[in-house]
Amino acid sequence: MASVESPVAPPAPGWARRLPADERIFLWVVVATVVVMSAFTIGWLYLGHQNPPTASYRTTPAAFTAKTQAFASRYAHGDGRVYVPAGHDAYLMAYRFGFFPTLVVKAGRPVRIWMSSLDTLHGFSLVGHGLNLNLEIAPDHAYGAVFTPTRPGRYLIVCNEFCGLGHQLMQTSLYVVR
Amino acid sequence: MAYVETIRAARLREERSRTCPVTGLRVYAGAQALTLANAVSAVLALALGGAFGVSMALTRAPSLELLGSKGYYVALTGHGVSALILWPVFFEVAAMVFASSVLLNARVWSMKLGWTALGLMVAGSVMLEAIVLAGRASVAFTAYPPLVASQVFYLGYIVFAVGVLVAIANFALTIAAARTERTYEGSLPLLTYGVAVAAILALLAILSGLVALIPAWLYSQGWISNVEPIVYRGWFWGLGHTLQYVNVVAMVVAWYGIVALTLRAGPVNQKFTRFGFVLYLILTVPVLGHHFLVDPSIGTDVKVVGGTLFGFGLGVPSLMHGLAVMGGTEARLRERGAVGLFGWLRRIDFRNASIAALTCSLLLFAIGGWSGTAETTLQLNILTHNTMWVPAHVHAIVVGGTTLAFMGFAYLLVPLLTRRRLWGGPLAAIQAWLYGAGLLLLVATQTWAGMLGIPRRVSRVDVGADPHSWRLPMDLMGAAGAVAGIGGALFVVIMVMTLLRGKRTDDPTALAVSAERPIADLG
Repeated sequence: MASVESPVAPPAPGWARRLPADERIFLWVVVATVVVMSAFTIGWLYLGHQNPPTASYRTTPAAFTAKTQAFASRYAHGDGRVYVPAGHDAYLMAYRFGFFPTLVVKAGRPVRIWMSSLDTLHGFSLVGHGLNLNLEIAPDHAYGAVFTPTRPGRYLIVCNEFCGLGHQLMQTSLYVVR
Repeated sequence: MAYVETIRAARLREERSRTCPVTGLRVYAGAQALTLANAVSAVLALALGGAFGVSMALTRAPSLELLGSKGYYVALTGHGVSALILWPVFFEVAAMVFASSVLLNARVWSMKLGWTALGLMVAGSVMLEAIVLAGRASVAFTAYPPLVASQVFYLGYIVFAVGVLVAIANFALTIAAARTERTYEGSLPLLTYGVAVAAILALLAILSGLVALIPAWLYSQGWISNVEPIVYRGWFWGLGHTLQYVNVVAMVVAWYGIVALTLRAGPVNQKFTRFGFVLYLILTVPVLGHHFLVDPSIGTDVKVVGGTLFGFGLGVPSLMHGLAVMGGTEARLRERGAVGLFGWLRRIDFRNASIAALTCSLLLFAIGGWSGTAETTLQLNILTHNTMWVPAHVHAIVVGGTTLAFMGFAYLLVPLLTRRRLWGGPLAAIQAWLYGAGLLLLVATQTWAGMLGIPRRVSRVDVGADPHSWRLPMDLMGAAGAVAGIGGALFVVIMVMTLLRGKRTDDPTALAVSAERPIADLG
């Protein structure tokens, strides 16, 4: 092995010559690892089934509120929850410090939830029954995520982007029914 | 050339100097004072940041819940500001002064500029800490608009940033002056080269930060009507994430500094290591893309290339330096007679405080690098975004990697510059191992909590779904935070006591204690 050089003194002349073979081999192994990992993460976009949602469009707080309220008043039941009909898109708006409306979705049916914020950045963290799924909600953008719920039960939607002094209160439920 | 004349003219002043008994380098009084003043500011910022951090860990432990939500968000903001920005940047400015003057046998180009930079940075820090503690800036250190803090908060950031810009200018001019005066021959020493890369990254980070913070300040005063949160987020992380690579580069410099002073080891190949530093420079900036992996604003192709692929690429220089530090140490100890596959490891004295800190730093940085690489993939980011996984990654990298490396380097730098023996004897090594162990536990419990989906940056969660599985990891996390907190407090005590009470000595073996065990000791 080559002798050690001092990191605190200027290097000996000729330090810029070609790297020795063992260091070149190490570099190529690391670079090959990066290439393989990159191939996996790109390949999964085409072959896999769990990718970040790509559907989004620009909106405004007023327009998104109107859309959500029209949707909620049409499908709300007496218990105050909104039952999303099969094949219909759902809307969820986030504001300081809550979500509207409380959604009920059917197990086994894919559903697209459009979400947007009325004020600051918010988080959409869907947890419960071993599930853990996190997205960012931004104002002026609607973000559409498609889920196929499998296990019936009550899930929790928690805001996980700091949004102000009531942040810890900001949560709602999502119900999956048969 | 005119600028050469200016540089020479400014340096005609007389200045006291001495020759370091350990390294043989020329140490000028001004460079020594400025390095120490920056390092002391850094330690004070760390003390505050650590206190905020421990109170947060004890609040997130469901069995304790130390602070209410208001107090928690004060601590959240103060912890980010003090521990993630002020502490490492003060220490890096100390490293800039040291690497451009002492390592090049040169004077600081302008002491006035050096003290101006420090004054601005201290003023900015005082503004930030005061307004955060007053509870008028509880917006987290990221301060995403339309959340608004008191304008003192933004101005504090800006004043601090301007101070750092002045320090970077002084750093560059000091190197230019050393070059024209030929205080060193040939290329820059490796440590100075690394610090220069860190300084360039810091410059990019600060410029991006100013583009974010100046509009945010104007918005907080109602002088402009709108700042788009997503755009602010991009520029802010141009500051926030680039700054983390300033920390990483400075950490690598500290690694080389530690093995050089304790084991007389260094890189096996200068070109290999310098190439590693340049890779950080090339790959860092686009990586801020990973903050957008699961948001509606930018296209998937940009996310994949900027966030994920550049993120993977950044693993390359980190692996190179990890190998070069350990490989250089091995090569050095083999030269000195170590035999067998692991014989060189048995020659290292792990009771040496700096070696203890280096060992924990290498291990925790490797863990943090792994968790960061995992969460920078699009698919896994859905599982980790804004959960406790993120603080697990950040603490492994910034506290485990950078802070421990800085502590290990401070255990060498402070005695050498003050010519005082490190206070407390074996306490420093105990500190490093205790801090490392506390952090390992902290990172493990935070990773566990992250996998359960427990959110970060929230004072408490009223859990409807999984009440029991969320309690244990968070209680353990609180305990780990307390252990790490004791380790961190010990560091501050050792530093302060060394400055005030450390025994004066010029004995080189007492100032930089060798970590090489003599063969006779091995039995």
